[in-house]
Amino acid sequence: MSTSNLDALRPQADAILARYEKKQAAMLPLLRLVQERLGYITPQAEEWVGAVLDVAPSNVHEVVTFYSLYNQKPVGKYHVQVCRNIACALRGAEGCIASISERLGIRPGETTKDGTYTLSTVECLCACETGPVMQVNDTYVGPINARVIDTLVSQPDRLTPIPLVYQGVVGLQEPVLSARFNTKDAESIETYVRDDGYAAARKAVTGMTPEQVIEEVSKSGLRGLGGAGFPTGKKWSFIPKTTDKPKFLVVNADEGEPGTIKDRYLIAKDPHRMIEGIIIAAFATGCRKAYIYIRGEYADPTRILQKAVDDAYKYGFLGKSIFNTQHALEVVVHRGAGAYICGEETALLASLEGGKGFPRLKPPFPAVSGLFASPTVVNNVETLACVPSIIARGADWFAKLGYGKSGGTRLFSLSGHVRKPGVYEASHGVTLRQLLDAAGGVPDGHRLKAVIPGGISAKILRADEIDVRMEFDALLAAGTMAGSAGIVAMDDSTCMLEALWYAAKFFAHESCGQCSPCREGTGWIFKIISRIRNGQGRPQDLDNLLGIGGGMEGRTICVFADAAAWPVQSYIKKFRDEFEFHVREKRCNLGVQPAAALHG
Amino acid sequence: MADAVKQITLTIDGKAVTVPDGTTVLQACEKANSPVPFYCYHPGLSIAGNCRICLVEIQGSPKLQIACYTPAANGMVVNTTSDKTLLGRKDVLEFLLINHPLDCPVCDQAGECWLQDYYMQHGLYDPKFNEEKIKKPKAVPLGPTVMLDAERCILCSRCVRFTDEISKTGEFGIFNRGDHAEVGLHPGKTLDNNYSGNVVDICPVGALTDRDFRFKCRVWYLGSANSVCPGCARGCNIQIHYNREREWRGHIAKGDRVMRLKPRYNPDVNQWWMCDVGRYGYKFIDQNRLVEPATVRDGQLRPSPWDDALAVVAAALKRLQEAKQPDQAGAILSSHMTNEDLYAAKRFFSALGVKQVAFVRPKPGTSDDLLLQADRSPNTKGAQALGLAEGAERLIDAAAKKQLKVLFIFTQDLAALFGEAKVAELAKQLELLVFVGANANPTAAAAHVVLPSTVYAEKDGTFTNFQGRVQRIQPAFDPLGESRPEWQILSDLAAQSGVAVRFTDAFSTFMDLAQHEASFKGLVYQTIGEQGAMLQNGAGKV
Repeated sequence: MSTSNLDALRPQADAILARYEKKQAAMLPLLRLVQERLGYITPQAEEWVGAVLDVAPSNVHEVVTFYSLYNQKPVGKYHVQVCRNIACALRGAEGCIASISERLGIRPGETTKDGTYTLSTVECLCACETGPVMQVNDTYVGPINARVIDTLVSQPDRLTPIPLVYQGVVGLQEPVLSARFNTKDAESIETYVRDDGYAAARKAVTGMTPEQVIEEVSKSGLRGLGGAGFPTGKKWSFIPKTTDKPKFLVVNADEGEPGTIKDRYLIAKDPHRMIEGIIIAAFATGCRKAYIYIRGEYADPTRILQKAVDDAYKYGFLGKSIFNTQHALEVVVHRGAGAYICGEETALLASLEGGKGFPRLKPPFPAVSGLFASPTVVNNVETLACVPSIIARGADWFAKLGYGKSGGTRLFSLSGHVRKPGVYEASHGVTLRQLLDAAGGVPDGHRLKAVIPGGISAKILRADEIDVRMEFDALLAAGTMAGSAGIVAMDDSTCMLEALWYAAKFFAHESCGQCSPCREGTGWIFKIISRIRNGQGRPQDLDNLLGIGGGMEGRTICVFADAAAWPVQSYIKKFRDEFEFHVREKRCNLGVQPAAALHG
Repeated sequence: MADAVKQITLTIDGKAVTVPDGTTVLQACEKANSPVPFYCYHPGLSIAGNCRICLVEIQGSPKLQIACYTPAANGMVVNTTSDKTLLGRKDVLEFLLINHPLDCPVCDQAGECWLQDYYMQHGLYDPKFNEEKIKKPKAVPLGPTVMLDAERCILCSRCVRFTDEISKTGEFGIFNRGDHAEVGLHPGKTLDNNYSGNVVDICPVGALTDRDFRFKCRVWYLGSANSVCPGCARGCNIQIHYNREREWRGHIAKGDRVMRLKPRYNPDVNQWWMCDVGRYGYKFIDQNRLVEPATVRDGQLRPSPWDDALAVVAAALKRLQEAKQPDQAGAILSSHMTNEDLYAAKRFFSALGVKQVAFVRPKPGTSDDLLLQADRSPNTKGAQALGLAEGAERLIDAAAKKQLKVLFIFTQDLAALFGEAKVAELAKQLELLVFVGANANPTAAAAHVVLPSTVYAEKDGTFTNFQGRVQRIQPAFDPLGESRPEWQILSDLAAQSGVAVRFTDAFSTFMDLAQHEASFKGLVYQTIGEQGAMLQNGAGKV
């Protein structure tokens, strides 16, 4: 592949470079451009990219080998990427993979002889409500069933994208975040403006001071809904008022926590709500540039988002003089390239700057030194989507909707063994039981066995522990966490060892590898659990697993290692008998056969 | 006068220690004599904080903190030996070792491996890992000098940071994610910059090893002597590592003495580094040596005892004395010679009444903006500071015009500068051509008398680098064969020639030098120490 092919891309490359303050930040989009042209990325292409960005080819190669979405060899015309994470597994993913594999005649990691199909298994696509799900080129397809597989094999161009499954509110008088999820053409700017959209932003930018905005958001009790639950007003107040460096707002749209689907809904269904939140946040913190880092797999939502951003420019809500004031706000949509760790805010910044998603040593925190070493606010999509309502209807109203120190509502993602998976909106004070009931409970003839309350990192709850309120502090007190509100239900057909195997596989696959306890520990944990799963457990395995988890916790650059340890610790602790049975009897107490060890 | 840096005081293992504000806990622990283990930290590179073995307990922090990155603060209380700290350290070590291959018996790093060392100091646990280890490429030549074993790598990223920040050549990267992460070069590239050898120094384990040293000698057989590299005018501080067991293990490396050179830290000269030209340019110490004096008998150079060879030279000098023609003798010294040897020569020839004394330097080589100087000799500055004239042209002309009868050439192969033909001509034109040097070369082959001298690794002495820094060299081993230091050769020749000049050792020669030469005034070996001292009166200013 000669690089003169690539020189033709130079005008597009230059346009990409112009969006960023530092050349190197164009790394990910430039590699995507190259891959769209060549189908995969060769060492020569890496040299070309390196020359454009003034970066050593070895650094480009580091990036290409780090992210899952970059191909280092050609792939088939249809790249079939089937999710093999917990929620999809609970809904039959393994059978789908086996079936697709058989129909195509290839195993995961392979390409058909005629070059039409490449089959891969991937980690969570965050479409758990429509699981089992797969990504075929840019399109999410699911739930996979026999008919879908037929279509895949015979008419892949006619596969239908996944539907949005909004299930309404639980215990609320009216929806807030999801108020427009059933509105026709909700994603268009025309309907948004018609529905009083951008009025709150206008109010803030033209009629309030930044301090007033921060005060209002602080009083509202809004907390980070990406998972950490840090008070948003407080985070904004950390940004220095005066600095000679530019200030950046970075939106964390790198939704990746298995079991979580909600940010995709906000982006696909009501993107302007988030954009309005971005405008208010940027105004409050003095940022004139915002980057939206959206996960690379979210191709369709990205298209919708980019159109929304472009339209907001046309209406004068973004650009050099927003709402005809002296305030400016530029927004750049930046696509990720497939790495869960880029959801960690400093890894996200490292990725945005054009490198591997390596979390950074803290302090300094992003508010002091973040993107390009400038003061930076990083906020989750949903957090920002709450902001317009707070400004429009007041902090008190928002606070009252919530529970304890957590104001407002949030979107709960329900998946796994529930009759009605999808997105539900409720107050932080809703109980897990109420949500599971609203989702129709577990399928007929089964009983609830366990629930993941806040994404796969969250410690698991047993069926007798579901009367807990789904609020940050309440769940912490219950020995788990609210996290991303990704709820995955498991009924009594679930083998807890199998479930833990999916969790361990996920963490081993997604560890960035930067620091030793996590890099080695996640792989080690996965090997032991795989061995037990294959009927080769040893008596000391369970205590070793707990010891490894303990060895990782608190010793690493970021909390990925802790998150990897928590499922190991909680599943074994709460279902010890099952694990001991597997080790001792060398088989499953439920008779579950582990799926064949597949590559890819 | 600049404001003094603010000092802070903290407590480390119960000991109060005061350090400048900005010092890290790890550096403060070193100062307090409570050293903390580390891999990824290197004082000459940016901080990575990825190995996690420097975790320490700091009062007030619920989690252990990495000492390499945490700034020391006033009133901080650090515990490097608490149970919590030791457990953290042991756990990190265990993680680093689970996929590490059991290569010790075949790994060059054994004996200086930080995994071995820290396991003995901080590990000594019953290993729990009993799975298949991850396989990665082994014995991969990265270039002419460095061998990679990716399985042994602990991914500390020192090599990556070195080629990014120091050599600025960007060869290394760490590819892939998770425990499949692997250090390497861009596909198809090689590691062949002039500083490649340094990555072997900084690799704490046997992932990056020296191809020149591969399987040559176990490190516990090595002795070490502090010295200075003679490869260029920079004078990088080095250690000469030699086979201390040569007497009983003469089979190692065919009986060579020098096994390798390593850089020695000097903040003012070379920091922690040395270039490949110097690092791998040690072969002349053991190879191609002149080991015995030689004189021409029956038309050929033949081995000769010292006294006989010196007698031939003394006789020629005596003839000139009697004919009152001291101007018919000359000496071409070399910027390869130590200050002591140059001074001894200056004194000797002056006492003889020989005025035509000059020095030459070798042909210049390439230079770079890191360490390597174009002047490929270690003591040009010393020769200049001693007031010696530079250039051999006049002497060579004089010989051609039959105005020179006796010529001494020290060390430098003139054939490299003027061509072999010229040197052969010189030998014909002169009554006596004396070559004093350590290695055989065309000039030595053309000489009438050959007096073997020692190389820098066999002698005490000093070199003056291009900045005017006088630095000591120390002998690693005894002279090879019959070779002798130049000051001794000249002292013996003086005795035989009736010249009232004597030198007994390098130290006293230097004392004499410092007394009589203005730029060296006040310098003495003790103050030169291991890091050198500057010439006086800005005599070294470039």
